[in-house]
Amino acid sequence: MSPSPEAIVPGIGRAALDALLERFGEGSIAAAARYDALARYEEMPARVTVRGARGWKHDLAKLDLSGVPAFSIAGVQLSLESLSVEARNKGVTIEHFSHARERHGAAFGRAFGKAVDSRDDKFASLALAFANEGVFIEIPAGVSLDEPLLIGYEARDAALFPYTLVAAGAASRATIIERIATIEGAPLVCGVVELVLGDNAVLHYAVEQRASDATRLIMTRRATVGKDAALAVAFAELGGMHAVSRFRAVEAASGARVETVALFFSDRTQHVDIETETIHAAGHTQSETIVRSAGTDTGQGRYLGNIKILAAAHGADASLRDDALLLSEGSHIDSVPALEIAANDVKAFHGATVGAISEEELFYAQSRGIAREDAERMIALGFFEPAVSRFPTDALRAEIRAALERKLRSKAA
Amino acid sequence: MPDMSERGLRITGLRASVEGNEILKGIDIEVQPGSVHALMGPNGSGKSTLAFSVAGHPSYDVSAGTVTLDGEDLLGLAPDKRAKAGLFLSFQYPAAIPGVSVANFIRTARQSVRPDDLPPAKFRAMIFEKLDALDMDSAFLSRYVNDGFSGGEKKRLEMLQLAMLAPKYAILDETDSGLDVDALRAVGDSLRALRESDAGKDAGYLIITHYPRILQHITADHVHIMLDGRIVKSGGPELANEIERDGYDKIREQVAASVA
Repeated sequence: MSPSPEAIVPGIGRAALDALLERFGEGSIAAAARYDALARYEEMPARVTVRGARGWKHDLAKLDLSGVPAFSIAGVQLSLESLSVEARNKGVTIEHFSHARERHGAAFGRAFGKAVDSRDDKFASLALAFANEGVFIEIPAGVSLDEPLLIGYEARDAALFPYTLVAAGAASRATIIERIATIEGAPLVCGVVELVLGDNAVLHYAVEQRASDATRLIMTRRATVGKDAALAVAFAELGGMHAVSRFRAVEAASGARVETVALFFSDRTQHVDIETETIHAAGHTQSETIVRSAGTDTGQGRYLGNIKILAAAHGADASLRDDALLLSEGSHIDSVPALEIAANDVKAFHGATVGAISEEELFYAQSRGIAREDAERMIALGFFEPAVSRFPTDALRAEIRAALERKLRSKAA
Repeated sequence: MPDMSERGLRITGLRASVEGNEILKGIDIEVQPGSVHALMGPNGSGKSTLAFSVAGHPSYDVSAGTVTLDGEDLLGLAPDKRAKAGLFLSFQYPAAIPGVSVANFIRTARQSVRPDDLPPAKFRAMIFEKLDALDMDSAFLSRYVNDGFSGGEKKRLEMLQLAMLAPKYAILDETDSGLDVDALRAVGDSLRALRESDAGKDAGYLIITHYPRILQHITADHVHIMLDGRIVKSGGPELANEIERDGYDKIREQVAASVA
């Protein structure tokens, strides 16, 4: 069987990279850097964050991508719906990733690679080698945007390697919403997100991932946060056969604040693997992490939440709260919060729970006339609310609630 | 088919146990529409077990007896079906449901027990009116159900639900416990207003209480004294005064004497 006519090389490897460069040129990442990244991908072991779940069936160490159509022309689409009038007028750059270096060399060069070290993760290296889609956003210093910027990635019949690079200038303020969707047949989304916040910048960055259940997603997301800057990230990992999301924020200068919110709901045979890490590298930095997850059917989930407070981070204040809800016998979620503290005068809190819906809550709702299955759905949706409420815009929150409710309804059926 | 000639919340010969321990040892109470019964007794006498058994809590096993609501057998029904039949339980310790707003919860409940009888605008007008009667701020509606509520706020929310759902029969389990004077007055006013309203005047109430003080706000037509899982004495409102004056010990002595 031949791959889709648009897929240039059936299989991820050197031949595919040769073909990509021949067809499209090197784009924003130099050819040599791409080959280096591919070599690192090939030699690095896959990290496994949390072990132990018996039902876990997707092992990154045994992942074979030799049959995956590496990239295609028409199969991947990037939509930048909202290069709004406001953003244009205020001088915001939103550029397709492949032209970013050529057209915005200086600004691109200042941000690219600032938050991501391709040596830190096998799949970040893979994404870097093949980056074939993406966007470079630069919000100039002092610019404040009221309207959110919307990015949409959609893959159809080939692997998607998106690269999102955001440079938030000093004292800028913006909200960015990224939606990732795939259509049946899209095998892989392997991407990098790099957020670089200047001093006093405020950035809210949210991802709604709604891939089809044929797709494997492996996302590496990194941020570096400047002095007195505030980053809020929110990830809704709703789709995919196997979704891996690894986020790390480095609070590089004093007064930096990071809020990390993640939610997922593994249903049917979905596997979701989330890692968040906040590194407090400077004094008086704050972080708050909120994770809500649920599992039903034979859905599997794992969460690793790291907080590292380095010796220089006097007066750091970190909290991590992670709660998981199991709605079926066959579902499983492993949760590992980890604190590593090298400074003395810090405040750090972490707490984690894994449990079922409480019978007392169910009985209370039922005593008001609410049928048991409706009560379960209501309580489960409520369980996600502390995470959902942290996403930007009413429209996005409504979409996420609706997606969660659909999962709950299909579970009841 | 329910037999309407058997109106009332009728509890007959009810025996119930928790984790194998029999708590209720044969309870008979009949609450007629429009009437107020008080069930009094010391801690541990089985009052809350009665409330939970009638409402259908899964941890309570009923081994004998019947409970009917206007002729409809309740014991075979799931808790939500009992509520749909017209029963309401005001909890002594209401559960918190984080992430679910009071407004959403009450709308869902109202829609469950009385489908489509109130357009949204009327629902809003009604809930604001009831809030006001309970001295509650409208900000209450967007808080999560009982999440971080004070004792008084929890009981006010129970009364708000009672007023919004307007059941045929309501069991109020220790609604007065843990309330300060103002909260008690607000709860009492709300009950009185409900009793005087069209929706509430024909309802029957079973008020479970340890202390008689709530009965200063709502007059009981009948008073029952419960000791060790049995109703040991029933009478008119004067019985509550007797308890106020003498406590439960005197009744305990009388019961012991009659058994001996």
